[in-house]
Amino acid sequence: MWKSVIYKEWLKIRWFLIGYAALGIIAVGYIFLKVQHDIAFMEGKNYWYSILFQGLQYFGYLKFLPLIGALAIGIAQYFPETVNKRIKLTFHLPLKENKILLMMHAFGTGSLLAAYLLIFSIFYVLSNLFFPSEIINGAIATVIPWFLAGLTTYFMIALIVLEPIWKYRAFYFIIGAFFTSIYLNQTITAGYAPVNPILFILTAGSGIALIFSAYRFRKGEM
Amino acid sequence: MSNVIECNNLTHYYGKKLVYENLNIHVQEGSILGLLGKNGAGKTTTINILNGFLQPRSGECLIYGENSQQLSPATKARIGFLIEGHIQYSFMNIHQIEKFYSGFYPDWKPAPYWELMSKLKVAPNQKISTMSCGQRSQVALGLILAQDPDLLILDDFSMGLDPGYRRLFIDYLREYAKAENKTIFTTSHIIQDMERLIDDVLIMDYNRVLAQCPVNEFMSTFKQFNFELDNDKHDLKKEKFVVNLEKVKNKIELYTYESESFVLKFLQDNGVIFKNFQQTKMGLEDAFIGLTGKY
Repeated sequence: MWKSVIYKEWLKIRWFLIGYAALGIIAVGYIFLKVQHDIAFMEGKNYWYSILFQGLQYFGYLKFLPLIGALAIGIAQYFPETVNKRIKLTFHLPLKENKILLMMHAFGTGSLLAAYLLIFSIFYVLSNLFFPSEIINGAIATVIPWFLAGLTTYFMIALIVLEPIWKYRAFYFIIGAFFTSIYLNQTITAGYAPVNPILFILTAGSGIALIFSAYRFRKGEM
Repeated sequence: MSNVIECNNLTHYYGKKLVYENLNIHVQEGSILGLLGKNGAGKTTTINILNGFLQPRSGECLIYGENSQQLSPATKARIGFLIEGHIQYSFMNIHQIEKFYSGFYPDWKPAPYWELMSKLKVAPNQKISTMSCGQRSQVALGLILAQDPDLLILDDFSMGLDPGYRRLFIDYLREYAKAENKTIFTTSHIIQDMERLIDDVLIMDYNRVLAQCPVNEFMSTFKQFNFELDNDKHDLKKEKFVVNLEKVKNKIELYTYESESFVLKFLQDNGVIFKNFQQTKMGLEDAFIGLTGKY
């Protein structure tokens, strides 16, 4: 049954996932093309100085990249389930309703994390070619909340799209937008480093929010 | 025979609007029950309660003895479900959807599915979303046949189908159900279709059940009489034996469970002057309209 669930979810998100991974690689490639250009233009020591003491974030283009992936994969995965209330078919499969929903969710989360890991790994490897560990550690501490914002957005998309009533969707959207914006508010490099564990816990906590929308659907809210 | 479906004292409201109160439904193993009703009478509501997609205000539905709100995976595997409009995963093609569903059912029987698919003129990689409604209906039916469930719940199976596809659907379904002793609970807007398919009928009107019995019994006991009135002194609509009465000028259509002799005697005893009295043979659709009214 796992195989069938994965198969269906893969059919829904595959092109979005592949497209997003390609976009991520291009974005990271562009970041380091620009880094190379700026180092050649400003000289390495001046560029490093700008990063360390003037708050330059060479990785700034990464800020909304996780969000874009979460939106693409979340909508690709959950929107087809709500067209003509097709989620009824899913709930009718011979599994407990929450179990199959969490299986779908786990696959979507895993796929998104795989794309994030790919993007992050390339970013990390290329960072090592240009910068010392002090700069890289600061960059990692800064981008972690952005990737957590992406995951949180994916979880919120599931909650919003599966909600059967439009006015509640709008309400969840406002809450979700506010909640996600917290992750993106840091202005200085590694500004959120002390609270990254708390952000991680908040993200993990929002991971099962979709169960609430599914419960409301099964109760017959309309 | 045991009951496959048992709904007891089912009551449901949408907000303050009563859908029905204390509805009782029993469907025996091996029978085909047709739920008929006008738009908004509560057909889809009942289907949704049966499938656990709607919690009734009170009462309960049991399917194979389990509350429909908490069906176990084993019981769900015994139920084939057709959603109104033959909804399926339209982003899949016929191969992908068969592969997907087969993973959930250990007793999956692909032969009937592929037999039906061979009749469709579709490309192997054609997505379901690009198929006609009739083709989609065959995909949905084929999947149900391959699942080989003991109980089939079909919500308005005839919606959007042309006469040829409707006939194909019904003939396949009835032959399958009777050969394999399957139980079917179905609704349809097209009542002529039901006549070819069902054993038992449940007719609902707003807030109430009008008839629940074997379809043959209903058709033999419910009658239509036509006549022309020469005087209009007696308000026949108020009489208890009159289930429904339609009047156009002096032409009367009277629907009742009473016999011809009873109606004739009543008219004569009460001084009603009439002519051209005759019993009219009805089909199921005529009887349905006779029972529920034209509007």
